[in-house]
Amino acid sequence: MIDPFTVPFMGRALAEIALLALICGPISVFVFVRRLSFVSDALTHTVFPGVVIGFAAAGIEGIFVGALVAGVITALVLTVLTNRARLSDDAATAVLLTAMFSAGVVLVSRRSSYTSDLTSFLFGRLLTVTTRQLAETAVLAVVILAGLLVVARALVFRSFDPEGAAAAGFRVGWLDLWLNVLLALVVVAAVRAVGTILVVALLIVPAAAARMVSDRLAVMAGAGAVLVLAAGYAGLLLSWTASLRYGVSLTSASAVVLLLVLFYLLLIPVRWLRSGRSRRELVG
Amino acid sequence: MNWWDDVLHRAVAEVILIGALAGMIGVHVVMRRLSFFTMALTHATFPGVVAASIIGVNLLVGGVATGAVIAIGVAVLARRRGQDAAAATGVLLSGGFALGAALVATQSGFSRDLSSFLVGSILTVSAADLVVTAVVLAVVAVVLLAGARPLLFVGFDPHGARAAGLSTTGWDLLLLLTIQLVVVAVVPAVGTILALSLIVAPAAAARLWSDRLPVITGLAVVFAILSGLAGLYASARWNVAAGASISLTATAVLAVSWPARWLVRWSSARWTPVPST
Repeated sequence: MIDPFTVPFMGRALAEIALLALICGPISVFVFVRRLSFVSDALTHTVFPGVVIGFAAAGIEGIFVGALVAGVITALVLTVLTNRARLSDDAATAVLLTAMFSAGVVLVSRRSSYTSDLTSFLFGRLLTVTTRQLAETAVLAVVILAGLLVVARALVFRSFDPEGAAAAGFRVGWLDLWLNVLLALVVVAAVRAVGTILVVALLIVPAAAARMVSDRLAVMAGAGAVLVLAAGYAGLLLSWTASLRYGVSLTSASAVVLLLVLFYLLLIPVRWLRSGRSRRELVG
Repeated sequence: MNWWDDVLHRAVAEVILIGALAGMIGVHVVMRRLSFFTMALTHATFPGVVAASIIGVNLLVGGVATGAVIAIGVAVLARRRGQDAAAATGVLLSGGFALGAALVATQSGFSRDLSSFLVGSILTVSAADLVVTAVVLAVVAVVLLAGARPLLFVGFDPHGARAAGLSTTGWDLLLLLTIQLVVVAVVPAVGTILALSLIVAPAAAARLWSDRLPVITGLAVVFAILSGLAGLYASARWNVAAGASISLTATAVLAVSWPARWLVRWSSARWTPVPST
Protein backbone atom coordinates (compact mmCIF):
# COMPACT_ATOMS: atom_id res chain seq x y z
CA MET A 1 0.00 0.00 0.00
CA ILE A 2 2.87 2.37 0.75
CA ASP A 3 5.36 0.61 -1.46
CA PRO A 4 4.71 2.44 -4.76
CA PHE A 5 5.19 5.79 -3.07
CA THR A 6 8.78 5.02 -2.11
CA VAL A 7 9.59 5.49 -5.80
CA PRO A 8 10.64 9.16 -6.00
CA PHE A 9 8.30 10.30 -8.77
CA MET A 10 5.28 8.72 -7.08
CA GLY A 11 6.21 10.32 -3.78
CA ARG A 12 6.49 13.73 -5.44
CA ALA A 13 3.15 13.26 -7.19
CA LEU A 14 1.51 12.46 -3.86
CA ALA A 15 3.16 15.46 -2.21
CA GLU A 16 1.85 17.71 -5.01
CA ILE A 17 -1.67 16.35 -4.51
CA ALA A 18 -1.38 16.87 -0.75
CA LEU A 19 -0.42 20.51 -1.26
CA LEU A 20 -3.32 20.99 -3.68
CA ALA A 21 -5.67 19.33 -1.19
CA LEU A 22 -4.64 21.91 1.37
CA ILE A 23 -5.55 24.74 -1.05
CA CYS A 24 -8.58 23.25 -2.74
CA GLY A 25 -10.48 22.27 0.39
CA PRO A 26 -11.07 25.88 1.53
CA ILE A 27 -11.19 27.50 -1.91
CA SER A 28 -13.74 25.05 -3.28
CA VAL A 29 -16.07 26.00 -0.43
CA PHE A 30 -16.20 29.53 -1.84
CA VAL A 31 -16.58 28.19 -5.37
CA PHE A 32 -19.58 26.29 -4.05
CA VAL A 33 -21.33 29.06 -2.12
CA ARG A 34 -20.65 31.72 -4.77
CA ARG A 35 -21.64 29.33 -7.61
CA LEU A 36 -18.37 29.87 -9.40
CA SER A 37 -18.19 26.41 -11.01
CA PHE A 38 -18.40 27.88 -14.50
CA VAL A 39 -15.85 30.58 -13.67
CA SER A 40 -13.42 27.90 -12.45
CA ASP A 41 -13.92 25.93 -15.63
CA ALA A 42 -13.42 29.09 -17.67
CA LEU A 43 -10.16 29.96 -15.85
CA THR A 44 -8.65 26.58 -16.64
CA HIS A 45 -9.21 27.32 -20.34
CA THR A 46 -8.27 30.97 -20.38
CA VAL A 47 -4.77 30.44 -18.96
CA PHE A 48 -3.97 28.47 -22.11
CA PRO A 49 -2.96 31.43 -24.34
CA GLY A 50 -0.75 32.63 -21.46
CA VAL A 51 0.92 29.24 -21.34
CA VAL A 52 1.52 29.32 -25.09
CA ILE A 53 2.91 32.86 -25.16
CA GLY A 54 5.00 32.26 -22.04
CA PHE A 55 6.50 29.12 -23.54
CA ALA A 56 7.24 30.84 -26.85
CA ALA A 57 8.89 33.78 -25.10
CA ALA A 58 10.95 32.12 -22.40
CA GLY A 59 10.69 28.34 -22.69
CA ILE A 60 9.57 26.14 -19.81
CA GLU A 61 10.24 28.84 -17.21
CA GLY A 62 7.97 31.29 -19.04
CA ILE A 63 4.89 29.08 -18.69
CA PHE A 64 4.38 30.02 -15.06
CA VAL A 65 4.51 33.78 -15.64
CA GLY A 66 2.42 33.57 -18.81
CA ALA A 67 -0.30 31.58 -17.10
CA LEU A 68 -0.24 33.96 -14.14
CA VAL A 69 -0.72 37.02 -16.36
CA ALA A 70 -3.50 35.38 -18.39
CA GLY A 71 -5.23 34.20 -15.21
CA VAL A 72 -5.20 37.64 -13.61
CA ILE A 73 -6.43 39.28 -16.84
CA THR A 74 -9.30 36.77 -16.95
CA ALA A 75 -10.19 37.49 -13.34
CA LEU A 76 -10.26 41.23 -14.06
CA VAL A 77 -12.34 40.97 -17.25
CA LEU A 78 -14.77 38.50 -15.67
CA THR A 79 -15.33 40.73 -12.66
CA VAL A 80 -16.02 43.74 -14.87
CA LEU A 81 -18.25 41.86 -17.34
CA THR A 82 -20.36 40.11 -14.72
CA ASN A 83 -21.09 43.38 -12.93
CA ARG A 84 -22.86 44.67 -16.06
CA ALA A 85 -26.47 43.64 -16.43
CA ARG A 86 -27.06 43.57 -20.18
CA LEU A 87 -24.99 40.43 -20.79
CA SER A 88 -25.85 37.69 -18.29
CA ASP A 89 -22.82 36.48 -16.37
CA ASP A 90 -22.88 32.93 -17.68
CA ALA A 91 -22.95 34.12 -21.29
CA ALA A 92 -20.06 36.50 -20.56
CA THR A 93 -18.08 33.66 -18.99
CA ALA A 94 -18.75 31.37 -21.95
CA VAL A 95 -17.68 33.98 -24.48
CA LEU A 96 -14.49 34.84 -22.61
CA LEU A 97 -13.65 31.14 -22.20
CA THR A 98 -14.03 30.31 -25.89
CA ALA A 99 -12.35 33.49 -27.08
CA MET A 100 -9.21 33.13 -24.97
CA PHE A 101 -8.88 29.41 -25.53
CA SER A 102 -9.27 29.91 -29.28
CA ALA A 103 -6.59 32.60 -29.19
CA GLY A 104 -4.29 30.02 -27.61
CA VAL A 105 -5.17 27.44 -30.23
CA VAL A 106 -4.58 29.89 -33.06
CA LEU A 107 -1.14 30.69 -31.65
CA VAL A 108 -0.27 27.05 -31.15
CA SER A 109 -1.67 25.84 -34.48
CA ARG A 110 0.97 27.75 -36.40
CA ARG A 111 3.44 25.20 -35.07
CA SER A 112 3.53 21.72 -36.49
CA SER A 113 2.84 19.35 -33.60
CA TYR A 114 0.29 21.07 -31.49
CA THR A 115 -1.85 18.07 -30.59
CA SER A 116 0.74 16.74 -28.13
CA ASP A 117 0.99 20.18 -26.48
CA LEU A 118 -2.76 20.25 -26.05
CA THR A 119 -2.79 16.77 -24.58
CA SER A 120 -0.16 17.58 -21.99
CA PHE A 121 -2.11 20.72 -21.14
CA LEU A 122 -5.21 18.60 -20.53
CA PHE A 123 -3.57 15.86 -18.50
CA GLY A 124 -0.61 17.68 -17.07
CA ARG A 125 2.39 15.67 -16.09
CA LEU A 126 1.54 14.55 -12.59
CA LEU A 127 4.20 11.85 -12.60
CA THR A 128 6.99 14.19 -13.71
CA VAL A 129 6.49 16.86 -11.06
CA THR A 130 9.88 18.25 -10.10
CA THR A 131 11.08 19.40 -6.71
CA ARG A 132 11.13 22.93 -8.07
CA GLN A 133 7.47 22.73 -9.07
CA LEU A 134 6.67 21.38 -5.61
CA ALA A 135 8.37 24.40 -4.08
CA GLU A 136 6.43 26.75 -6.37
CA THR A 137 3.16 25.10 -5.42
CA ALA A 138 4.06 25.33 -1.73
CA VAL A 139 4.79 29.05 -1.98
CA LEU A 140 1.55 29.66 -3.86
CA ALA A 141 -0.32 27.56 -1.29
CA VAL A 142 0.88 29.86 1.48
CA VAL A 143 -0.01 32.98 -0.54
CA ILE A 144 -3.46 31.68 -1.48
CA LEU A 145 -4.37 30.49 2.01
CA ALA A 146 -3.19 33.76 3.55
CA GLY A 147 -5.14 35.72 0.95
CA LEU A 148 -8.21 33.70 1.69
CA LEU A 149 -7.86 33.96 5.45
CA VAL A 150 -7.58 37.76 5.41
CA VAL A 151 -10.95 38.25 3.74
CA ALA A 152 -12.70 35.00 4.72
CA ARG A 153 -15.29 36.64 6.97
CA ALA A 154 -16.09 39.38 4.46
CA LEU A 155 -16.37 36.82 1.67
CA VAL A 156 -18.82 34.71 3.65
CA PHE A 157 -20.87 37.80 4.49
CA ARG A 158 -20.87 38.85 0.82
CA SER A 159 -21.83 35.35 -0.35
CA PHE A 160 -24.94 35.08 1.73
CA ASP A 161 -26.05 38.69 1.91
CA PRO A 162 -24.58 40.93 -0.82
CA GLU A 163 -26.78 43.93 0.00
CA GLY A 164 -26.02 43.62 3.71
CA ALA A 165 -22.31 43.42 3.01
CA ALA A 166 -22.45 46.49 0.79
CA ALA A 167 -24.44 48.36 3.44
CA ALA A 168 -21.92 47.34 6.09
CA GLY A 169 -19.23 49.09 4.06
CA PHE A 170 -17.60 46.17 2.26
CA ARG A 171 -16.62 46.84 -1.35
CA VAL A 172 -18.41 43.93 -3.03
CA GLY A 173 -16.77 44.48 -6.41
CA TRP A 174 -13.29 44.33 -4.89
CA LEU A 175 -14.15 41.21 -2.90
CA ASP A 176 -15.33 39.49 -6.10
CA LEU A 177 -12.15 40.48 -7.87
CA TRP A 178 -10.06 39.21 -4.95
CA LEU A 179 -11.75 35.80 -5.01
CA ASN A 180 -11.43 35.54 -8.80
CA VAL A 181 -7.72 36.36 -8.60
CA LEU A 182 -7.22 33.73 -5.88
CA LEU A 183 -8.99 31.19 -8.11
CA ALA A 184 -6.72 32.15 -11.00
CA LEU A 185 -3.70 31.59 -8.70
CA VAL A 186 -4.93 28.09 -7.82
CA VAL A 187 -5.35 27.25 -11.48
CA VAL A 188 -1.88 28.56 -12.28
CA ALA A 189 -0.35 26.66 -9.38
CA ALA A 190 -1.94 23.41 -10.43
CA VAL A 191 -2.40 23.41 -14.17
CA ARG A 192 1.12 22.62 -15.29
CA ALA A 193 1.52 19.78 -12.83
CA VAL A 194 -1.87 18.13 -12.97
CA GLY A 195 -3.61 19.41 -16.12
CA THR A 196 -6.95 21.09 -16.64
CA ILE A 197 -9.10 17.98 -16.18
CA LEU A 198 -7.89 17.56 -12.62
CA VAL A 199 -7.89 21.26 -11.73
CA VAL A 200 -11.55 21.72 -12.63
CA ALA A 201 -12.48 18.70 -10.55
CA LEU A 202 -10.38 19.87 -7.58
CA LEU A 203 -12.08 23.28 -7.59
CA ILE A 204 -15.66 22.03 -7.85
CA VAL A 205 -16.08 18.53 -6.47
CA PRO A 206 -14.56 18.63 -2.91
CA ALA A 207 -16.98 21.18 -1.45
CA ALA A 208 -19.94 19.76 -3.38
CA ALA A 209 -19.19 16.36 -1.89
CA ALA A 210 -18.47 17.74 1.58
CA ARG A 211 -21.78 19.61 1.48
CA MET A 212 -23.48 16.21 1.70
CA VAL A 213 -21.91 15.65 5.11
CA SER A 214 -22.17 19.06 6.69
CA ASP A 215 -23.46 22.57 6.08
CA ARG A 216 -20.85 24.30 8.23
CA LEU A 217 -18.29 25.99 6.02
CA ALA A 218 -15.23 25.19 8.15
CA VAL A 219 -16.18 21.52 8.34
CA MET A 220 -16.78 21.50 4.59
CA ALA A 221 -13.31 22.90 3.95
CA GLY A 222 -11.66 20.27 6.13
CA ALA A 223 -13.70 17.40 4.75
CA GLY A 224 -13.01 18.59 1.20
CA ALA A 225 -9.25 18.55 1.80
CA VAL A 226 -9.43 15.05 3.27
CA LEU A 227 -11.46 13.83 0.31
CA VAL A 228 -8.93 15.22 -2.17
CA LEU A 229 -6.07 13.58 -0.30
CA ALA A 230 -7.88 10.24 -0.17
CA ALA A 231 -8.78 10.39 -3.86
CA GLY A 232 -5.22 11.42 -4.72
CA TYR A 233 -3.66 8.55 -2.81
CA ALA A 234 -6.12 5.94 -4.07
CA GLY A 235 -6.05 7.30 -7.62
CA LEU A 236 -2.27 7.19 -7.89
CA LEU A 237 -2.23 3.70 -6.44
CA LEU A 238 -4.95 2.61 -8.85
CA SER A 239 -3.23 3.91 -11.96
CA TRP A 240 0.08 2.42 -10.74
CA THR A 241 -1.46 -1.03 -10.20
CA ALA A 242 -3.52 -0.87 -13.38
CA SER A 243 -0.56 -0.14 -15.60
CA LEU A 244 2.00 -2.36 -13.84
CA ARG A 245 -0.07 -5.39 -12.96
CA TYR A 246 -2.70 -5.43 -15.68
CA GLY A 247 -1.14 -3.43 -18.50
CA VAL A 248 -4.10 -1.05 -18.73
CA SER A 249 -2.93 2.51 -19.28
CA LEU A 250 -4.98 4.59 -16.90
CA THR A 251 -3.83 8.21 -16.73
CA SER A 252 -3.29 9.17 -13.11
CA ALA A 253 -5.16 12.49 -13.42
CA SER A 254 -8.27 10.73 -14.74
CA ALA A 255 -8.09 8.13 -11.98
CA VAL A 256 -7.98 10.81 -9.28
CA VAL A 257 -10.93 12.71 -10.77
CA LEU A 258 -13.04 9.60 -11.22
CA LEU A 259 -12.48 8.60 -7.60
CA LEU A 260 -13.38 12.10 -6.43
CA VAL A 261 -16.64 11.96 -8.42
CA LEU A 262 -17.26 8.47 -7.03
CA PHE A 263 -16.98 9.89 -3.48
CA TYR A 264 -19.51 12.56 -4.45
CA LEU A 265 -21.97 9.96 -5.72
CA LEU A 266 -21.46 7.73 -2.68
CA LEU A 267 -22.15 10.64 -0.34
CA ILE A 268 -25.49 11.59 -1.95
CA PRO A 269 -27.48 9.10 0.21
CA VAL A 270 -25.92 10.66 3.34
CA ARG A 271 -27.42 13.98 2.26
CA TRP A 272 -30.86 12.41 1.85
CA LEU A 273 -30.64 10.81 5.28
CA ARG A 274 -29.65 14.11 6.88
CA SER A 275 -32.34 16.18 5.15
CA GLY A 276 -34.95 13.55 5.97
CA ARG A 277 -33.97 13.64 9.63
CA SER A 278 -34.00 17.44 9.87
CA ARG A 279 -37.41 17.56 8.20
CA ARG A 280 -38.77 15.12 10.76
CA GLU A 281 -37.29 17.21 13.56
CA LEU A 282 -38.96 20.32 12.18
CA VAL A 283 -42.31 18.57 11.97
CA GLY A 284 -42.03 16.92 15.39
CA MET B 1 -15.94 16.27 -60.27
CA ASN B 2 -18.86 16.58 -57.92
CA TRP B 3 -19.18 19.90 -56.11
CA TRP B 4 -19.33 18.07 -52.77
CA ASP B 5 -15.99 16.39 -53.30
CA ASP B 6 -14.09 19.54 -52.49
CA VAL B 7 -13.05 19.75 -48.83
CA LEU B 8 -13.58 23.47 -48.63
CA HIS B 9 -17.05 23.25 -50.23
CA ARG B 10 -18.12 20.70 -47.65
CA ALA B 11 -16.71 22.87 -44.87
CA VAL B 12 -18.67 25.88 -46.15
CA ALA B 13 -21.90 23.88 -46.27
CA GLU B 14 -21.27 22.51 -42.77
CA VAL B 15 -20.54 25.98 -41.40
CA ILE B 16 -23.81 27.33 -42.81
CA LEU B 17 -25.86 24.44 -41.40
CA ILE B 18 -24.16 24.62 -37.99
CA GLY B 19 -24.49 28.38 -37.89
CA ALA B 20 -28.24 28.15 -38.40
CA LEU B 21 -28.51 25.39 -35.79
CA ALA B 22 -26.37 27.17 -33.20
CA GLY B 23 -28.06 30.54 -33.73
CA MET B 24 -31.54 29.10 -33.20
CA ILE B 25 -30.79 27.14 -30.07
CA GLY B 26 -28.37 29.79 -28.80
CA VAL B 27 -31.18 32.29 -28.23
CA HIS B 28 -32.77 29.90 -25.77
CA VAL B 29 -29.44 29.07 -24.15
CA VAL B 30 -28.67 32.75 -23.56
CA MET B 31 -32.21 33.66 -22.41
CA ARG B 32 -32.45 30.77 -19.97
CA ARG B 33 -28.84 31.11 -18.81
CA LEU B 34 -27.92 27.61 -19.81
CA SER B 35 -24.37 28.31 -21.04
CA PHE B 36 -22.77 26.28 -18.26
CA PHE B 37 -25.19 23.44 -18.88
CA THR B 38 -24.22 23.50 -22.56
CA MET B 39 -20.53 23.46 -21.69
CA ALA B 40 -21.08 20.59 -19.26
CA LEU B 41 -23.02 18.66 -21.92
CA THR B 42 -20.18 18.95 -24.40
CA HIS B 43 -17.88 17.28 -21.88
CA ALA B 44 -20.32 14.90 -20.26
CA THR B 45 -21.46 13.32 -23.54
CA PHE B 46 -17.82 12.67 -24.38
CA PRO B 47 -17.58 9.22 -22.68
CA GLY B 48 -20.76 8.14 -24.48
CA VAL B 49 -19.25 9.02 -27.83
CA VAL B 50 -15.96 7.28 -27.01
CA ALA B 51 -17.73 4.18 -25.69
CA ALA B 52 -19.88 4.06 -28.84
CA SER B 53 -16.78 4.19 -31.03
CA ILE B 54 -15.10 1.41 -29.00
CA ILE B 55 -18.16 -0.85 -29.20
CA GLY B 56 -18.70 0.09 -32.81
CA VAL B 57 -22.14 1.69 -32.60
CA ASN B 58 -23.04 4.95 -34.35
CA LEU B 59 -21.38 7.83 -32.48
CA LEU B 60 -24.53 9.91 -32.54
CA VAL B 61 -26.50 7.17 -30.79
CA GLY B 62 -23.94 6.96 -27.98
CA GLY B 63 -23.88 10.70 -27.55
CA VAL B 64 -27.64 11.15 -27.59
CA ALA B 65 -28.14 8.33 -25.07
CA THR B 66 -25.61 9.83 -22.61
CA GLY B 67 -26.91 13.33 -23.21
CA ALA B 68 -30.49 12.31 -22.51
CA VAL B 69 -29.49 10.78 -19.17
CA ILE B 70 -27.62 13.97 -18.25
CA ALA B 71 -30.42 16.29 -19.36
CA ILE B 72 -32.90 14.37 -17.21
CA GLY B 73 -30.44 14.39 -14.31
CA VAL B 74 -30.00 18.16 -14.50
CA ALA B 75 -33.75 18.74 -14.85
CA VAL B 76 -34.31 16.72 -11.68
CA LEU B 77 -31.49 18.44 -9.79
CA ALA B 78 -32.56 21.92 -10.90
CA ARG B 79 -35.94 21.43 -9.25
CA ARG B 80 -34.24 21.50 -5.87
CA ARG B 81 -33.35 24.88 -4.49
CA GLY B 82 -29.93 26.07 -3.43
CA GLN B 83 -26.46 25.87 -4.88
CA ASP B 84 -26.74 22.21 -5.74
CA ALA B 85 -27.61 22.65 -9.42
CA ALA B 86 -24.51 24.64 -10.37
CA ALA B 87 -22.24 22.35 -8.37
CA ALA B 88 -23.89 19.21 -9.75
CA THR B 89 -23.44 20.50 -13.30
CA GLY B 90 -19.77 21.07 -12.51
CA VAL B 91 -19.39 17.57 -11.10
CA LEU B 92 -21.00 16.12 -14.25
CA LEU B 93 -18.64 18.16 -16.39
CA SER B 94 -15.42 17.09 -14.69
CA GLY B 95 -16.52 13.50 -14.17
CA GLY B 96 -17.63 13.08 -17.76
CA PHE B 97 -14.48 14.64 -19.13
CA ALA B 98 -12.23 12.44 -16.97
CA LEU B 99 -14.17 9.30 -17.88
CA GLY B 100 -14.03 10.10 -21.58
CA ALA B 101 -10.33 10.91 -21.41
CA ALA B 102 -9.63 7.70 -19.50
CA LEU B 103 -11.55 5.67 -22.10
CA VAL B 104 -9.69 7.36 -24.94
CA ALA B 105 -6.36 6.74 -23.21
CA THR B 106 -6.95 2.99 -23.22
CA GLN B 107 -6.96 3.18 -27.02
CA SER B 108 -3.76 3.84 -28.90
CA GLY B 109 -2.95 7.09 -30.68
CA PHE B 110 -5.24 9.03 -28.45
CA SER B 111 -3.74 12.51 -28.41
CA ARG B 112 -5.05 13.27 -31.91
CA ASP B 113 -8.60 12.21 -30.99
CA LEU B 114 -8.59 14.30 -27.82
CA SER B 115 -7.44 17.50 -29.45
CA SER B 116 -9.91 17.08 -32.29
CA PHE B 117 -12.58 16.64 -29.65
CA LEU B 118 -11.58 19.98 -28.17
CA VAL B 119 -10.92 22.11 -31.22
CA GLY B 120 -12.68 20.01 -33.85
CA SER B 121 -11.71 19.49 -37.43
CA ILE B 122 -14.27 21.24 -39.57
CA LEU B 123 -12.10 20.77 -42.66
CA THR B 124 -12.55 17.01 -42.51
CA VAL B 125 -16.36 16.79 -42.35
CA SER B 126 -17.74 13.97 -44.43
CA ALA B 127 -20.88 13.94 -46.53
CA ALA B 128 -22.48 11.80 -43.82
CA ASP B 129 -21.75 14.51 -41.22
CA LEU B 130 -23.50 17.00 -43.47
CA VAL B 131 -26.60 14.83 -43.76
CA VAL B 132 -26.73 14.33 -39.98
CA THR B 133 -26.41 18.06 -39.36
CA ALA B 134 -29.13 18.82 -41.90
CA VAL B 135 -31.53 16.32 -40.34
CA VAL B 136 -30.87 17.63 -36.83
CA LEU B 137 -31.38 21.17 -38.12
CA ALA B 138 -34.79 20.21 -39.50
CA VAL B 139 -35.83 18.48 -36.27
CA VAL B 140 -34.69 21.34 -34.05
CA ALA B 141 -36.34 23.94 -36.26
CA VAL B 142 -39.67 22.09 -36.09
CA VAL B 143 -39.47 21.65 -32.30
CA LEU B 144 -38.54 25.28 -31.66
CA LEU B 145 -41.19 26.65 -34.04
CA ALA B 146 -43.97 24.41 -32.77
CA GLY B 147 -43.05 25.02 -29.13
CA ALA B 148 -42.12 28.69 -29.43
CA ARG B 149 -45.00 30.13 -27.39
CA PRO B 150 -45.02 27.65 -24.50
CA LEU B 151 -41.19 27.68 -24.30
CA LEU B 152 -41.25 31.48 -24.04
CA PHE B 153 -44.02 31.45 -21.45
CA VAL B 154 -42.33 28.78 -19.30
CA GLY B 155 -38.98 30.54 -19.57
CA PHE B 156 -40.11 33.97 -18.47
CA ASP B 157 -42.99 33.24 -16.15
CA PRO B 158 -42.84 29.69 -14.78
CA HIS B 159 -45.48 30.36 -12.12
CA GLY B 160 -47.90 31.87 -14.61
CA ALA B 161 -47.28 29.00 -17.01
CA ARG B 162 -47.98 26.47 -14.29
CA ALA B 163 -51.15 28.31 -13.33
CA ALA B 164 -52.20 28.30 -17.00
CA GLY B 165 -51.94 24.52 -16.99
CA LEU B 166 -48.62 24.06 -18.78
CA SER B 167 -46.21 21.40 -17.56
CA THR B 168 -43.12 23.47 -16.77
CA THR B 169 -40.98 20.41 -16.09
CA GLY B 170 -42.03 18.87 -19.38
CA TRP B 171 -41.19 21.95 -21.44
CA ASP B 172 -37.91 22.50 -19.57
CA LEU B 173 -36.94 18.93 -20.26
CA LEU B 174 -37.86 19.32 -23.93
CA LEU B 175 -35.59 22.35 -24.17
CA LEU B 176 -32.69 20.56 -22.42
CA LEU B 177 -33.10 17.55 -24.72
CA THR B 178 -33.13 19.79 -27.80
CA ILE B 179 -29.94 21.49 -26.60
CA GLN B 180 -28.25 18.16 -26.04
CA LEU B 181 -29.29 17.00 -29.53
CA VAL B 182 -27.64 20.08 -31.01
CA VAL B 183 -24.49 19.60 -28.91
CA VAL B 184 -24.15 15.94 -29.83
CA ALA B 185 -24.66 16.65 -33.52
CA VAL B 186 -22.26 19.58 -33.62
CA VAL B 187 -19.37 18.60 -31.33
CA PRO B 188 -17.88 15.67 -33.31
CA ALA B 189 -17.59 17.87 -36.38
CA VAL B 190 -16.37 21.13 -34.86
CA GLY B 191 -15.21 20.43 -31.28
CA THR B 192 -16.48 21.57 -27.89
CA ILE B 193 -14.98 25.05 -27.81
CA LEU B 194 -16.34 26.09 -31.19
CA ALA B 195 -19.73 24.56 -30.41
CA LEU B 196 -20.05 26.58 -27.21
CA SER B 197 -18.78 29.69 -28.91
CA LEU B 198 -21.18 29.51 -31.86
CA ILE B 199 -24.12 28.80 -29.58
CA VAL B 200 -23.51 31.61 -27.07
CA ALA B 201 -21.67 34.50 -28.76
CA PRO B 202 -23.98 35.24 -31.75
CA ALA B 203 -27.09 34.95 -29.60
CA ALA B 204 -25.59 37.24 -26.95
CA ALA B 205 -24.71 39.76 -29.67
CA ALA B 206 -28.20 39.55 -31.17
CA ARG B 207 -29.68 40.07 -27.70
CA LEU B 208 -27.97 43.47 -27.55
CA TRP B 209 -29.83 44.65 -30.64
CA SER B 210 -33.41 43.71 -29.88
CA ASP B 211 -35.90 42.67 -27.22
CA ARG B 212 -38.16 40.69 -29.56
CA LEU B 213 -37.56 36.96 -29.77
CA PRO B 214 -38.15 36.46 -33.54
CA VAL B 215 -35.81 39.33 -34.36
CA ILE B 216 -33.15 38.05 -31.96
CA THR B 217 -33.39 34.55 -33.43
CA GLY B 218 -33.03 35.83 -37.00
CA LEU B 219 -30.09 38.04 -36.08
CA ALA B 220 -28.39 35.23 -34.13
CA VAL B 221 -28.63 32.87 -37.12
CA VAL B 222 -27.23 35.53 -39.46
CA PHE B 223 -24.39 36.40 -37.04
CA ALA B 224 -23.49 32.73 -36.54
CA ILE B 225 -23.40 31.95 -40.27
CA LEU B 226 -21.44 35.11 -41.07
CA SER B 227 -18.84 34.45 -38.38
CA GLY B 228 -18.54 30.87 -39.61
CA LEU B 229 -17.83 31.96 -43.17
CA ALA B 230 -15.53 34.82 -42.18
CA GLY B 231 -13.62 32.56 -39.78
CA LEU B 232 -13.22 29.90 -42.45
CA TYR B 233 -11.84 32.50 -44.84
CA ALA B 234 -9.42 33.84 -42.22
CA SER B 235 -8.26 30.32 -41.46
CA ALA B 236 -7.48 29.61 -45.11
CA ARG B 237 -5.91 33.04 -45.58
CA TRP B 238 -3.52 32.95 -42.62
CA ASN B 239 -3.17 29.22 -42.18
CA VAL B 240 -4.45 28.94 -38.60
CA ALA B 241 -6.79 26.41 -36.97
CA ALA B 242 -10.25 26.78 -38.55
CA GLY B 243 -12.37 26.14 -35.44
CA ALA B 244 -10.44 28.64 -33.36
CA SER B 245 -10.59 31.38 -35.97
CA ILE B 246 -14.36 30.92 -36.35
CA SER B 247 -14.89 31.25 -32.61
CA LEU B 248 -12.69 34.34 -32.50
CA THR B 249 -14.79 35.88 -35.29
CA ALA B 250 -17.97 35.13 -33.36
CA THR B 251 -16.47 36.87 -30.34
CA ALA B 252 -15.51 39.83 -32.52
CA VAL B 253 -19.14 40.21 -33.63
CA LEU B 254 -20.14 40.50 -29.97
CA ALA B 255 -17.27 42.84 -29.17
CA VAL B 256 -18.28 45.14 -32.05
CA SER B 257 -21.99 44.94 -31.28
CA TRP B 258 -21.48 46.27 -27.77
CA PRO B 259 -20.06 49.75 -28.55
CA ALA B 260 -22.09 49.95 -31.79
CA ARG B 261 -25.30 49.39 -29.90
CA TRP B 262 -24.26 51.93 -27.33
CA LEU B 263 -23.48 54.52 -30.03
CA VAL B 264 -26.81 53.94 -31.79
CA ARG B 265 -28.65 54.41 -28.53
CA TRP B 266 -26.71 57.47 -27.60
CA SER B 267 -27.30 59.17 -30.95
CA SER B 268 -31.00 58.27 -31.07
CA ALA B 269 -31.46 59.52 -27.52
CA ARG B 270 -29.82 62.76 -28.58
CA TRP B 271 -31.80 63.33 -31.75
CA THR B 272 -35.23 62.10 -30.76
CA PRO B 273 -37.24 64.85 -29.08
CA VAL B 274 -38.38 63.85 -25.61
CA PRO B 275 -42.15 63.36 -25.71
CA SER B 276 -43.87 65.78 -23.40
CA THR B 277 -46.27 64.09 -21.05
